Amino acid sequence: MLELRRVSKHFSGIPAVDDVSFSALPGQVTGYLGPNGSGKSTTIKMITALIEMTAGQILVDGKPIDDDLISYKRRMGYVPEEPHLYNHLSDAEYLTMVADLRGLAPRIAGERIDGMLRLLSLYDDRHAGIAGYSKGMRQKVLIAAALMHNPDLVLLDEPFSGLDVGSALVLRSLITELATRGKVVLFSSHELDTVERISDRVVILHHGKVVADDSIARLRTLMELPTLEAIFSQLAVEHDTDSMARQLADLIRA
Amino acid sequence: MLKVFGLLFDRWTERLPLQLRVLHRQFLLRVVDLEALSIEADIPSYLGQFAGILIMISLCHAFGLMVFPPPPFAETWGYEQARIADMQLVIGLCSVLMWDTTFPDKRDAMLLGPLPILPHMILFAKMAASASVLAVGILALNFASSGAMSIVFGLPSNGFFRFFFAWWFTLTAASAFLYGAVLAIQGFGALLLSRRMFLRVSAVLQLAAFGTILAGRFLQPWLNTFSELTNPAYRALLAWSPTFWFFALFNHINGTLPRELQWVANRAWLALALVLVGSVSSLALCYLRTMKNTVEQPDLDPAASSIGSLPRLGNSLQSAIALFCFRSITRSRQHRVALAFYWSIVFAIALSMARDLFTNPPEPVSLGLIMPTIIMMSFAVVGLRGVFSLPISLKANWMLRITQLRPTTDYIAATRRSLQLFGVLPIVLLSAALGLHFRPLTHAYQHVAFLAIFGCILVELSLIHFDKVPFTCSFIPGKTNFQVIFWGAAFVFLILGLLFGAYELQSLKDAHQYVFLMAFCMAIAIGLWIFNRLHARTAALYYDEVIPEVITRLGITLLPPSALPEETKLKTLP
Repeated sequence: MLELRRVSKHFSGIPAVDDVSFSALPGQVTGYLGPNGSGKSTTIKMITALIEMTAGQILVDGKPIDDDLISYKRRMGYVPEEPHLYNHLSDAEYLTMVADLRGLAPRIAGERIDGMLRLLSLYDDRHAGIAGYSKGMRQKVLIAAALMHNPDLVLLDEPFSGLDVGSALVLRSLITELATRGKVVLFSSHELDTVERISDRVVILHHGKVVADDSIARLRTLMELPTLEAIFSQLAVEHDTDSMARQLADLIRA
Repeated sequence: MLKVFGLLFDRWTERLPLQLRVLHRQFLLRVVDLEALSIEADIPSYLGQFAGILIMISLCHAFGLMVFPPPPFAETWGYEQARIADMQLVIGLCSVLMWDTTFPDKRDAMLLGPLPILPHMILFAKMAASASVLAVGILALNFASSGAMSIVFGLPSNGFFRFFFAWWFTLTAASAFLYGAVLAIQGFGALLLSRRMFLRVSAVLQLAAFGTILAGRFLQPWLNTFSELTNPAYRALLAWSPTFWFFALFNHINGTLPRELQWVANRAWLALALVLVGSVSSLALCYLRTMKNTVEQPDLDPAASSIGSLPRLGNSLQSAIALFCFRSITRSRQHRVALAFYWSIVFAIALSMARDLFTNPPEPVSLGLIMPTIIMMSFAVVGLRGVFSLPISLKANWMLRITQLRPTTDYIAATRRSLQLFGVLPIVLLSAALGLHFRPLTHAYQHVAFLAIFGCILVELSLIHFDKVPFTCSFIPGKTNFQVIFWGAAFVFLILGLLFGAYELQSLKDAHQYVFLMAFCMAIAIGLWIFNRLHARTAALYYDEVIPEVITRLGITLLPPSALPEETKLKTLP
């Protein structure tokens, strides 16, 4: 189980994540939602230990992750928000490098890389440089790199970004499948429809604070709203969106 | 005076089309080949440092000439040749750094294509940006020295003004020739090859140009006297070296060229004309023909092949880091160009030694074998270490942090393996081949064994406090004083090498002394290895992408300050 206890992150004294607590259970998909700048990616980067917390604790199976960071990293797979990769490598080379760094046996790594590239339709381009890849292809490489070592904890930061419809459907099913196999899956996304379909529970963040943490069905009942989109709009969208659109159109006409 | 000049310049530029001015400003900031420098580089600072170095060189030359003028009637030709070669070196380096920037790339085509801008406006703006950088380079390197040369060399002969004019004309012509030659080569390459093939060949051409320019500057002899210049042994050199063409051109304009060398000056005119016609025509054709092709080229190259399966180079971490190093050096232009600088020197030395191997009979082991190979080893290892400090993609470093499952000592060991494989091993093999020219062979190969240990010492010295994965951080052109550190280290290594070399030559003749030398060197290597290992045990790997994230609140608000919450007021910047 992944657990965040009163986690905060301040940048130059300004809180980006403020006193966030929630937990993600094995066998469940936890959706992590929030508008741009609400602190989702910062939280996920803290969970991956890429950035340090200002306060609070992150625990996996009851133990703080800092106690044995290397063991924790072995169990964790991460897809970042931006598909930053080493562009001078091909996807096969990149994945082999990740496998080597993770210490996977060459034979097992080779089989998994080949299989993943085939399943993700990247095999034909396996010798081409990543520099030429589309955003969706890069996203697939990131997904393969994150899952190659069969992690217990899967952290996905906007994993659907840039994926075509078919690949997005595959990923959607994959996320559910991973949870079914007992993994902890935490993913952030702006695609509320997808989140509503696959998440067992959602955590909604606004201005760095948790404003909702429950199952979608229970949130619907509590707030008497029909969809996750409506719940999200009520909790985290401050603007009158129609009015804003009108103002923008007026601005360019003036 | 400067203010007036500045005002006049502003007035003049204001009359240029707005589009040209805007594009010129943009291209000026991008005139350095972005692939040849880190994207994180502070290019204006880097160019500023570059200009500063040139100004210092110019001032040093001027000071030297004014304070220690040559005796009257001394031959000054060698000095003129050296200054023209310096100029060509600077312009050559600029050309290499500006490689490809005069031609439209995909980004230009995609960003500027939809805007109402004519292609010739883009071409003019790019040419103006390149010309601006070249002009700054020429001015910085010559502003003081040209005046000093005109006073010291010009006044006693044909007068200050004629010398001054001839000198500046020659410099401008030599620069135009060199830059034009680079453009013409690229232009014809772009016209004759497909875009994809051109991009591949272009990288090789860039390296070749770089090596040729460096070798030309550092391996070319200077011919000081009339008898040397007219010596048939040097006729081929005069016929094919642009330095001598423009040297002759200068003396032709200055009225100091002997009639016997008029043919060399004629070559300069001819070469200049050919290069200008070639570069302008190829550039114009490129803009007309390849702009569209550039956009239409697919991003992905599906047919690209890769070197099958590379051998494993140690344990999985060592293999991962070593292959990452190999691929970064071979595929990234910025790293290739940086490494080419050091390896050009290595190859120049190796070539000059190899020439003896084939043309002269074997000779006894001497400093002629020991010193060049020690210098090659120093440049190879220190150069490689320097290139390791050039980041390849800071934003992609997150992957190395996520997968950091082993202690720092293992990462340092992996870096050591890479330095040994790509720095020490090639020089040992090269030296072993060059050693065939020396007798007795046992002494030559004893030296090769010594060289291997010397290389290991250099590797350990390079690793001191290098708590990083190669290509992940540190040196960003324009932001660090890497050059100073490098040249300082190179100087120290060179002195050490000279000391070792002199002692080694003696010890090769005495078995006991040789054993002592080897044992001493091995002790140093092992001592440094232990030091690095002990340090790594407590060190944490450092990645440069950990930049302090700062959220700045601008303090823009419609509320009066009194209405703001106390907490916000404290954090709002004035």
